[in-house]
Amino acid sequence: MRLKIALPAAALVVAAVALFVVGRSASAEPVHVSTTGTRYAATVSIADPAPGRVTVEVKVDKGDADSVALSAVMPEMGHATPELTATEREPGRFLGEGELFSMTGVWELSIRLDGPAGEEELAVKALITE
Amino acid sequence: MIRVLCLAAVLVLVMAAPAVAHNVTAGADLRIAQTIAGAEVTVVVKGTSRVPGPLRIGVVAYQAVAGLPVGLEVRSVEDGRTVTATATAAADPRYAELRVERTGPHELRLRAGGETAVVPFRVLVDRGSAADFLIYGGLFVAALLLVGGLLTGALSRPGTAMALAAGAAAGVTVAAMVIVFEPWVTPSPPDGAAPTAEAAAGATVAAGGRPYAQARVATVPARPAVGEEFTLRLDLVDGSTGRPVDDLTVHHEALAHLVVTSQDGRYFRHVHPLRTAPGRLEVRLTADRPGRYLAHAELEREDSGGQLLEAGFTVGGDPEQAVPATAGEPGPQSTGATAGEPDPPAAVPGLRPAVPVAGRPATIELAAPAGVRPWLGMTGHLIVRSRSGDFLGHVHEMGSPGSRLRFTFSFPEPGRYLAWVQYATGDRIVTTPFTVDVTASEAAR
Repeated sequence: MRLKIALPAAALVVAAVALFVVGRSASAEPVHVSTTGTRYAATVSIADPAPGRVTVEVKVDKGDADSVALSAVMPEMGHATPELTATEREPGRFLGEGELFSMTGVWELSIRLDGPAGEEELAVKALITE
Repeated sequence: MIRVLCLAAVLVLVMAAPAVAHNVTAGADLRIAQTIAGAEVTVVVKGTSRVPGPLRIGVVAYQAVAGLPVGLEVRSVEDGRTVTATATAAADPRYAELRVERTGPHELRLRAGGETAVVPFRVLVDRGSAADFLIYGGLFVAALLLVGGLLTGALSRPGTAMALAAGAAAGVTVAAMVIVFEPWVTPSPPDGAAPTAEAAAGATVAAGGRPYAQARVATVPARPAVGEEFTLRLDLVDGSTGRPVDDLTVHHEALAHLVVTSQDGRYFRHVHPLRTAPGRLEVRLTADRPGRYLAHAELEREDSGGQLLEAGFTVGGDPEQAVPATAGEPGPQSTGATAGEPDPPAAVPGLRPAVPVAGRPATIELAAPAGVRPWLGMTGHLIVRSRSGDFLGHVHEMGSPGSRLRFTFSFPEPGRYLAWVQYATGDRIVTTPFTVDVTASEAAR
């Protein structure tokens, strides 16, 4: 009687552990990364980093940026996407919406910030998955 | 279950191993050659096993530089925190210790002799392996439960004993399965690693090679004069996106190997330009004769093969100012690697066959003095150039025993080639220039 419960239970444990080991590296993570330059510092967040339309949040942590423009390059494939202008929702918080990533893979997101301190381009890497 | 694991194993095998860029991990140092303040040095960044932790940086000199001070500045790109130190270049340097607070992208700024280089790199720290945890954890649980099972069995409680034995079996199974399948499971990337497509399911597998890079080469000033220091600048541009190429990997201990020769081959420099801005490489040179010069840059992008970029520039001045050639024959004159001081008369390299045949391997052998030390990861380097300059080869020593340097190379076409063998001794880089006459094979005549 107990054997009938114990064996499936043991099998379940084994299955759960194996799935954990295999699946651990397979989950898509939201992008949340900080970068600093000489004039500005920014934190970039992409809640759902997938091909197609995305929303990119840029929080300017250092420097007084008036405008933020985003563009992306996939170095591995030589793809580049046009620049899109992010709109300032609150002081220091910009949102950019558009098609930045045309396929899955590692993309380099360029953030061009402009303000009284001058222009600076920062870059972060983002993993785009399905 | 086994099918799921096998499928997962196959999927993992299909995905290529990620390439390593400028990563600094414990046990894997970053070595990067730089031509700075007129000296040939190799900057060594030793990895750390923990953060916050020490990052040790030393500057190895390959020339007698008399304690050249090199300013070091390490900046975390993520939070902008900066630490500084000063290293002294020496053949066997003392390492400066800087403290890094976090993993991830960093920048190393080097300052010497009024020149500045910015080297991007990543600090990585290995995470504990989940597989190891499961193997030892599974075995530990099994051992505990087996002892418990034996004790409860002895106390004649068969139900509990059976449950404990089943638990023990599960523990052993987990450990065994992880041991069997661990080699196929992608290890978790170290802390601070750049994202890779291989780390995520559903991501496209690497295409195998990035677009070509183009070099826009300029000199500052635009028309350098004989005996005057000038900057040779390479702006690298991606052929597909037009963006600066800022993903060079360290290839034979340098971001780029730049060979600058005068058209006649009497001027020769093998230097390692500094990255001064994204996609920009610069090196300071002084020409010793007017005329046409050739620049050949050997570099490698991340996840790609090597490539050779070529450009030419002109040095103005009076031909009388040039160092007079001693022989009437066109061919390279003895020159130092970067310092420009002439080398002592060196042994003449031996050729086998004496007149190499185009398209067939030829061996070039040179007697080297005792105390030759590796430079750019190799004992010796042979650079060959066709007379016109439209062909350049870079051959490495094959690890021959004793104090001989041996190179094997198939010259592609008949004709005269200019060649230079380079190796490092205790306090200098010795460059031995010579020429090789290559004949056509019988079949081609």
